[in-house]
Amino acid sequence: MRKASYSVTRLQNHGYLFILPTLVFFTVFLIYPMISAFRLSLLEWNVLTPAKAIGLKNFLVMSKDPRVVNSILRTLHFSAISVAAINVLAFVFALMFGSRMIRHKNFLQSLVFLPVILSIVAVGVVWEFMYQSTGLIPILVRGIFGASPAWLTTTSAAPYAIIITYVWKSVGYYMVIYIAGLMDVPTSFYEAARMDGAGFWGQLYYITIPNLRNTFALGVISCIIFTFGQFSIQYVITKGGPARSTEILSLLIFREAFELSKFGYSAAISVLFFLMLLVFSIFQLRLFRSGAVGD
Amino acid sequence: MSSYRSSQRVLRTLLYVVICVLGFAFIFPFLWMIVSSFKLNRDVLAIPIQFFPPTWNWMSYVNVFTKFPDFNFPRFILNSFIVTAVAVVFCLFLSATAGYGFAKYKFKGNGLLFMIVLATIMISFEAIVVPLFILVRRLGLQNTYWGLIIPESLTAFGVFMMRQFFFSLPNDFIESARIDGANEYAIFVRIAIPMAQTALLALVIFHAQWVWNLLLWPLIVMSNPDMRVLPQGIALFKGGYNTPYPEQLAVSVVACIPLLLLYIFLSKYFVQGIAMTGLKG
Repeated sequence: MRKASYSVTRLQNHGYLFILPTLVFFTVFLIYPMISAFRLSLLEWNVLTPAKAIGLKNFLVMSKDPRVVNSILRTLHFSAISVAAINVLAFVFALMFGSRMIRHKNFLQSLVFLPVILSIVAVGVVWEFMYQSTGLIPILVRGIFGASPAWLTTTSAAPYAIIITYVWKSVGYYMVIYIAGLMDVPTSFYEAARMDGAGFWGQLYYITIPNLRNTFALGVISCIIFTFGQFSIQYVITKGGPARSTEILSLLIFREAFELSKFGYSAAISVLFFLMLLVFSIFQLRLFRSGAVGD
Repeated sequence: MSSYRSSQRVLRTLLYVVICVLGFAFIFPFLWMIVSSFKLNRDVLAIPIQFFPPTWNWMSYVNVFTKFPDFNFPRFILNSFIVTAVAVVFCLFLSATAGYGFAKYKFKGNGLLFMIVLATIMISFEAIVVPLFILVRRLGLQNTYWGLIIPESLTAFGVFMMRQFFFSLPNDFIESARIDGANEYAIFVRIAIPMAQTALLALVIFHAQWVWNLLLWPLIVMSNPDMRVLPQGIALFKGGYNTPYPEQLAVSVVACIPLLLLYIFLSKYFVQGIAMTGLKG
């Protein structure tokens, strides 16, 4: 009896070996750097001179640094509009493609999905090209509305040029999530609603939206987290310009550390970035734990 | 009834129009990238706009690989392929082993350790990029493939996904193999892995897409021009002085081809991989 339970324990202990590589790599390359970021944020360090502990001074400086404040506002602006536009459009597209009235769905759907598969840097290159003053977009916009902003050279238009590109690139991804969510709603629900006389809007309001609660939560949360960390499109199209109007936090972190060598200060901005996302990250974690995600 | 039908028909036509316009809007920039890459530099932003090149010019595709000594694009492409392939294998290895360990063994601390691994989804890359760079440099991994690959292949989501999958794998297969005398690792390799093919393939596509498109981390860790990956090369090429558009667009088209091919042949797994991130409404 004793021997049996001993060997069962031994058998179960094989599990440690299976999870060992993941534990080691996650600890060294994710958890340790995270702790290290907090420690670094309390230092003044430019690599050349020895690091100096300065307590919370980085955070104090940051709160009065117009460049940081600007980046925070730019990040919030970019994220709020992008996340709203992406999720609303993705949901509407999912409804349209889910409609039984339409044929050739798969082909049309894959057109909307296409930008998701394109290289993000390539997307930046072609949109920057299209936004040029004699490029496609100003000419098209002028043709329709009579006038077009200077998309990449004015501080009022450039953030929207970035948002449009980003939404175009990402919406297909979230559309797939919403389509999958829609397919999970049992058709009997809709049949019952129709029997009760619910029309399109009634079905949408009483059946579709309540049943997609988790899908919405996950779509919006993961979109917020992903959008906050967006870097490539800004880096390729505007490099943060003009006049820092598209210099979002990820770009600022990169520049403070790797162009200005202010490692401690950059780490402090990283910590701020982490804290700004914390509420959403915890929410995402809870979604995963609750079993709302996965098959 | 007939007015209901005709209003149905109007609605349907309207929906078709909207969807076709939409589809066109979504594919057009891609087509524009392709046709423009075949234009001469003087035609590329010329007014009035012409969709097709007045003269078809293939040279941009040759020039971009030969005329710019600071940008060794063949090498960047090779680097990108190596990095993506190794990263995918590495990510699969970690996700499958850990997912299997967490799902199929009841060792002490299983729940707690899994929570710790899962909690790392809260760590966004931007939050750790500075200490990560310091660490990678200290380990001598700067300007190496591993330095680029390791930090970008640690995905708690992959572990989570594989664990979910292995939960659903019946224990009977494992038990009967054990009775036949197979050891634990043979069971994992010969029985569990082959049954996980679909989940693994979805993960392959998911991760390949991720790694192929990396820009921020390569910009930081690959300072040696020979170690650059393709997106990094394109971004720096574009930022260079007076770089002609047809060449920029040509190399961008090239960068899109591998994932497009992957999508054409394995589109089912693309969609599956995404759907798995957001399900159970």
